[in-house]
Amino acid sequence: MSWPVTIAMRAGRTLLLILCAAAGTILLVRFAPGFFSDPREMDAKYAQAAQEEIDAENGQHRSVNQIAMQEAKDFLGGGFGTSRQYRVPVAELIGARIPLSALLLARGILGGWLLAICAALPVSSLRRGGLFWGLPFTILLAIPTAAMATACILSETGGPVLVLALLIAARDFKFLRSMLEGAWRSPHLLQGRAQGLRPRALVRLHILPNVLPQLCALTTLSIVTALGALVPIEVIFTVPGVGQLAWSAVMNRDLPVLVAVSLLMACVVGCAGMLSMRAPTLEAA
Amino acid sequence: MKRRIALVALLLLIAGAALALRWSPVDYAAQDRDATMAPSSAQHWTGTDELGRDRTVRVAAALLIGLAGATAAAALTTAIAGCFGVAAAFSPAWAAAVLMFLSDVFLSLPWLFLLMMARSLLPLTASPLETAVATFVVLAALGWPACARVLYRGALSLRTAEWMIQGHACGLRTRQLVRMHLLPHLRSLLLPQFLVCVPAFIVAEANLGALGLGVGEPLPSWGSMLLELDNSALLARSHWVYLPIALLVIVLLTLESFSAEGETHA
Repeated sequence: MSWPVTIAMRAGRTLLLILCAAAGTILLVRFAPGFFSDPREMDAKYAQAAQEEIDAENGQHRSVNQIAMQEAKDFLGGGFGTSRQYRVPVAELIGARIPLSALLLARGILGGWLLAICAALPVSSLRRGGLFWGLPFTILLAIPTAAMATACILSETGGPVLVLALLIAARDFKFLRSMLEGAWRSPHLLQGRAQGLRPRALVRLHILPNVLPQLCALTTLSIVTALGALVPIEVIFTVPGVGQLAWSAVMNRDLPVLVAVSLLMACVVGCAGMLSMRAPTLEAA
Repeated sequence: MKRRIALVALLLLIAGAALALRWSPVDYAAQDRDATMAPSSAQHWTGTDELGRDRTVRVAAALLIGLAGATAAAALTTAIAGCFGVAAAFSPAWAAAVLMFLSDVFLSLPWLFLLMMARSLLPLTASPLETAVATFVVLAALGWPACARVLYRGALSLRTAEWMIQGHACGLRTRQLVRMHLLPHLRSLLLPQFLVCVPAFIVAEANLGALGLGVGEPLPSWGSMLLELDNSALLARSHWVYLPIALLVIVLLTLESFSAEGETHA
């Protein structure tokens, strides 16, 4: 199969996955208890007649089909509808928060990768003591994100970027170390060592080109990990980003916001997945 | 050796928690209104929380609930993943593709976001026990896709093994082949998946609890214990507030050593 067809097929599959994720979100929220509760029902200023009108208005959008059609219409209109809790267009709400979350993600992932690579490269080349040098990362792996964030706030050290970077570093170090250990022990590298090549040259000429496809897959994993950690980090550090918006939407059954955030997250995960597929595809091409 | 030390440490922790619960004169929900946010004393060894509840008893209960819930959820998720993987491996290619696509749909959203969404959409008026069960059931229900992919690949390679083909040629039915030949061989994959899931579920429960979506009060859990760290007045009075997080890290480290060994065996 030619590589444009392969890429088109993978893009189609990713698109289908995103649509299924959106449909799943609609089903999940539609059947959640309290989905039809309206804040206006609690407001005493609305008379009995007005309450009945609100009920009737909500009743028009009870079926899953109607909700899905409405969401599709809103999506095609480019606005994603109006938030139930904020009464603001969803696109406006998310648009303002994306740069903040994207910056946090980019800094966190970059910091985490730097930390993991800087630690994994020397540790993987050691013959003994790897377990001891890897211990800080093992301990970091055992600390929940929420606890790490709270500890940062308590000690007034670092912030959301540091927590995200530490989390990514802890996850990636394990994979990077085993990946690099395999690379260090490969026969051509032993020969390179025997010929007197310096460690820097070995890393640049032999190790990095060999582990590049696996590094691409690891990038996908880092992005997915960072996206998952975004919610507790933004909630605990009160960062007004997409993660905090998602949490607030979940707590308030705000379907339009939830569908938009799910679509956004599925898009990012899908694109990140394509990134990990890219290397072998181009290699094969 | 490392595994044996971890096992002994874990068993000691469980025994200590069980003994603390057994011998303590107070319940985990009992409030001592005269000793709110109390430091360590003869009556309350590790002090009390803001409602005057004994911290030792609550931490012990949180440890046992967390371990029991995560172990049960991990067993359930491994069973679901096993059924899914084996079913996909023994199905026609199109059915296997559909089943694997279904697992991909679950994997297309970040795990914690999916968990948070599913957990928060459960009934609002639930008892603490129901919220605990709901939390771990949600963890089990959403944790299987990654395991299912691994088990699918394992089952697929075993399906084409020579001894399986011979069994098939001898007239064994698919169900018999799976029960008598496949499952014993899949155990080397099932066990590591189970061992990886236990610490992952404990961490997920703690994160959900810290977001207010975990086990409901007054039932103690790691998540609700972590929420205590937000109380600056409590932090200023006693260092025992850090006990839950310290114990949680120890429990997770022991469990991680099991899962690391499991991965090595796999």
